[in-house]
Amino acid sequence: MLTSFIETDASAASITTDGLLRQFGSLTALDRVTVTLPRGGVVGLLGPNGSGKSTLIRILLGLIPSTSGQATVLGHPTTKPARYAGDVGALIEAPSFVPGLSARKNLLSLARLRGLPATRVAEVIRIVGLEGRENESVRRFSLGMKQRLGIAAALLPDPALLILDEPTNGLDPAGIVEIRQLLKTLAAEGRTVVVSSHLLAEIQAACDYLVIIRFGELMFSGPMGELLDKAGARIEVAPEHPADVDRLRVALAAAGWSLEDDSLVVHGSAADAGALNRAAHEAGITLSRLTPIDESLEDVFLKMTAAPTRDPVAASQGARKKAATNA
Amino acid sequence: MRELRSELTRLNRRGIWLGWLGLMAVFAVLINTVIYTIAANGSAPPGGGPGVAFPSVATLESSSGIVAGVSSAASMFGVITLSFWAIATASDYSTGLIRLLAAAQPHRWRLLLGKIGALLIWTALATTVAVVVNLAAALPSAEAAGISTELWMDDLASEIARAWLTSFSASVVWGIIGLVLALLSRSAAIAISVGIGWVLLIETIIKTASSEAGQWLPGTTLTALAQGGTDDLTFAAAILIGCIYAAVGLIIGLVIFIRRPITE
Repeated sequence: MLTSFIETDASAASITTDGLLRQFGSLTALDRVTVTLPRGGVVGLLGPNGSGKSTLIRILLGLIPSTSGQATVLGHPTTKPARYAGDVGALIEAPSFVPGLSARKNLLSLARLRGLPATRVAEVIRIVGLEGRENESVRRFSLGMKQRLGIAAALLPDPALLILDEPTNGLDPAGIVEIRQLLKTLAAEGRTVVVSSHLLAEIQAACDYLVIIRFGELMFSGPMGELLDKAGARIEVAPEHPADVDRLRVALAAAGWSLEDDSLVVHGSAADAGALNRAAHEAGITLSRLTPIDESLEDVFLKMTAAPTRDPVAASQGARKKAATNA
Repeated sequence: MRELRSELTRLNRRGIWLGWLGLMAVFAVLINTVIYTIAANGSAPPGGGPGVAFPSVATLESSSGIVAGVSSAASMFGVITLSFWAIATASDYSTGLIRLLAAAQPHRWRLLLGKIGALLIWTALATTVAVVVNLAAALPSAEAAGISTELWMDDLASEIARAWLTSFSASVVWGIIGLVLALLSRSAAIAISVGIGWVLLIETIIKTASSEAGQWLPGTTLTALAQGGTDDLTFAAAILIGCIYAAVGLIIGLVIFIRRPITE
C-alpha cells in the first residue's frame, strides 16, 4: 500500500483525519484513514464505487459520526460541526432540492437557513450560469442544470472550503470545462475545493492534490505530480542494433535498473535518462531511443486500485483479519 | 428564526396551498352536507368508530350548531394535518435535502423546531380555512335540511373561537403524530398509511374489544378534544391526554432527529 509522500503542516491544513474508522454493521466503510489536506487549491478525492468517499465526506460534514478516530475541518473537530458549518459549502451526492419549487426559491430557503441576504442568491445563480432559468421549477431541470444548482447552493455561504461530490455529473462537455474553470478560479481566490469524482481525466485536469481511497483504506495522499512521477514514471529504451536487445537488458539489470517483463521499459523518471544512457554506453551499446512514458492518472489509478476482489465486504473482512493478526 | 423562515419558504408552494387548504375546504363542505342531510332524514346519529361524531338535530339547532361541522370533521382534518406534516418531514429525506439542511445547520434541534413552527403556522391557516368554509357552508346546508338557525347568532364569536381553538389543538397533536411517524419511517407514504390505518382499523378494533381502553387512544381523545369533550371523555381530560401525546411525540421526534446519522 502506498502512503502519503508529503508531510503537510497540520496547522495549515483544511482537513485532517487521524485513524478515522467508520463501520456500518459488519462493513468497514473507512479503515483507520489518516490524511492531512492543505489549505487552498483543488483536492481530488478518488476511489472506486463503494470505496468510502461519501462516508468520509459525511463525517467531515458532521452528518454521521466516526466509529473511532478523529477528524478536523478548518481546524475544528468534526464532533463540533457548528463551528465550521458557515465556512463550508457542500454538494453531497446527487443535488437535492424541493422539486415543486423554483431554483431561486430553493436557494432562497437555504440562504435564509444560513442567515444570508437574498442578493447572495442572485450572485450564485449568475456564477453557475443559471440566469434566466432561476424561476423555473426544479422538477423541469435536466441533471446538468440540477448539478449547477447544487454547486450554487454550495457556493451560497462564500465558503473557505468547498466539498463537491461528482460536480460534473450530467454536464455536457462545455459545461464540464466551465465547471473545471470555475473550480480553478475558486481555488485561486484562496479557497480549498475538494472534488470527489470518477472522471479521472477531469481530476487530472483540475486538481493539485490527490487522495485515493480503496475499500475504505487510504491508498495515496499527496500532490498530483508526485503520484504520476513516483507511481508510474517509466522510460522506454531501444538499442541502435536490434541484436543488442538481450545484452542491453542484462546490462541495465546489472546496473540496478528495474525493467518490466520481456520489454525494454525501465522504471524511472525523465530525470533518470542520463544515467540510463551512461549505463548503456558503459556496456558498449548505443541507444537509438530513450523516451519517457507519460502515465495518465487513469493508468496509475487503475493499477493502484486493482485488487483480487472488488467486493467491499470481503475486503473489509480481510482488513479486519489483518488488524486482528497485527493485534 | 432562520430555520422557521427557511421552512416557510419551502412550504410556500402550489402543492401545499392547493393540497392542504383545498382538502380542508372540501371536507368542510362535505361534512356540512352530510350532517345536515342525515339530520333532515331524521335518522339517529350513528355512533361507533373513532372520528365519527354526527351531531343531533338539537345540537345543530343550538348556538354551537353553526360550527358543528368543524367538530364533526375533526378526525378528517386531523388526518389531513397528519398527512401534510408527514409529507413535509419525510420529503426532506426522500429528496435528500436533509443532507444540505443538516450540513448548513448542524444544530438539528433548531431545524426541527423551525419545521414544527412553520407547520404550526400552516395548521393555523388550514384550520382558519376549514372554519371559514364551514361557516359559509353551514347556513345553506341547514336551510336545505330545514334546521332552525335562530340561535346561531347567540355567542357567535365565542363559538367560532372555541371551534377554531379545539380543532387547531387536535390537529396539532395529529400533526405531531405524523411528524414522528415520518421521522421513524422516513417515508410519507408509510407514515400516512400507519396514521390512517390506526384510526380506521386498529383503534376501532381496540375500542370494540375494550371501550374503556378505547377512550384513551389518540383518535378518540383528539375527537373529544375537537368537540370540546364527550360523554365518555371530558374536555379537560382530553386536553391533558392530548398534551401527553404531543409531549411524548415531540421528545421521540427530537431524539430521533438529533441522534440518528444522516445516511440518506
